[in-house]
Amino acid sequence: MKRLVLIWALAAVVAAGTIMTANAQSALDRILKDKKIRITAEVTSPPFGILDKDGKPDGSEIATAQQLAKDLGVELELVQVTSPQRIPALLAGRADVAISSLSITLDRAKTVMFANPHGALSIVVTAPAGTKISSAADLSGKSIGITRATLEEATVPKVAPKDAKLVFFDDIGATIQALLSGQVDCASFSAFAAKSVADRNPDKKLENKFTVTTAFYAAAVKPGDFDLLRFLNTWVWLRTRDGTLAQIYQKYTGVELIALPTF
Amino acid sequence: MFGHRARRCPHFQPRMRYVFQFGIVADHTDELIHGALSTLWLTTCGAVGGLLLATLCVFLRTAGPKPVRWAIISYVEVIRNTPFLVQLFVLYFSLPALGVRLYAEQAAILGLAISFGGYATEILRSGIEAVPRGQIEAARALGLRPFKIFRRIIVYQAFKIVYPALASQVVILLLGSSIVSAISATELTAITNSLQSQTFRAFEFYFVAAAIYLGMAFATKAVLASLYWLMFVRGREA
Repeated sequence: MKRLVLIWALAAVVAAGTIMTANAQSALDRILKDKKIRITAEVTSPPFGILDKDGKPDGSEIATAQQLAKDLGVELELVQVTSPQRIPALLAGRADVAISSLSITLDRAKTVMFANPHGALSIVVTAPAGTKISSAADLSGKSIGITRATLEEATVPKVAPKDAKLVFFDDIGATIQALLSGQVDCASFSAFAAKSVADRNPDKKLENKFTVTTAFYAAAVKPGDFDLLRFLNTWVWLRTRDGTLAQIYQKYTGVELIALPTF
Repeated sequence: MFGHRARRCPHFQPRMRYVFQFGIVADHTDELIHGALSTLWLTTCGAVGGLLLATLCVFLRTAGPKPVRWAIISYVEVIRNTPFLVQLFVLYFSLPALGVRLYAEQAAILGLAISFGGYATEILRSGIEAVPRGQIEAARALGLRPFKIFRRIIVYQAFKIVYPALASQVVILLLGSSIVSAISATELTAITNSLQSQTFRAFEFYFVAAAIYLGMAFATKAVLASLYWLMFVRGREA
């Protein structure tokens, strides 16, 4: 019995020691020491993240991640995630920072810590020109394609009338296919995704019917990584002032970046 | 243990920062039950439809004209050598181009049945080959018609031989049905995905979903084992 107690006590001391040394090093320290930062890459949301012709991640959020790694002077490791996996990947420690067009919401703020926003996006409802929709009320009786774990999922169901049929897909590719193949009457996307889909499929004559909401997106870190968060805020402020972030935004979205608020 | 440090450093927290909150899962019990029932419904429809399809295919493969036999062999090979997700996408996204518009649930059931049918055809075929030839010759000598021989002599025994393999395939079907969430069909995985993206408690919901799948898989095995007993064991002990 005595020996058992001794073993447990020893184990507890060793465990506590490990925990303390591991924690003594902050996330920012670790990134600078390892010369490597792991950032989420979600590559199914044009123009934020896509795969280019060679199958490499590209897009405004990938370019933002590259700029951040460059400014830190460390190597960038992109952690490829699906849209619903952006926050779990962060919480599970697979990534240090999430830079994947995560719009700032209260619900998300309860789970992760947001930096100041570095971009803005609008959610629109898109449909072929022949479909008569001009406001949320016109969605009555129609089916709407929505991608899970996006701002669309958080906002469209709230404005849609009760008899609208909400059809949820796991990734935006499936939502786009559903709209193009006519499986849904209309679909909700970010304004840029809608533009990209419409540009690539001119024969469908897609047009934006109405804007559901405008939101700001930001980088996010795991709860407790305060030093990393402070660095991100400083970085966003500097790179907003010198126009780097606006340049990246305009290059990929074709839209001018509006003034970004800070908090 | 951490008291003195906590006082000096207000942000100090132990390494394991994730706190499990299973209470949130309990708040969504109704949705999860609905999802589990949908999964069972999809699996049942897929298994029954697929088994009927497979029986027909096996019959035509042994008794049908040559082009039909080749068509069935192609069907089995295509199904067994392409991803189920791709088969679903063809059914749901490509058929509308040909003027056939299926709802997500219809496409899901059809996809599950077609996929299960492909595997079950191959399983049943192996069972039929295991039925001794002498019995078929004996049945012919007794003057039984071909369909009756097929049904009473061949299928019955073949079914008994391959029953365990078919039962495993049903469990694979049950677990594989999680993929149909990709075409917006509502089942346990689709509902779990929605709930975790609304509540951000991914680990809790996926753990619970995994436990539900485990339970449903064991229940399916138990039901299928009872069916085996009813069909092949009861009253035949002698």
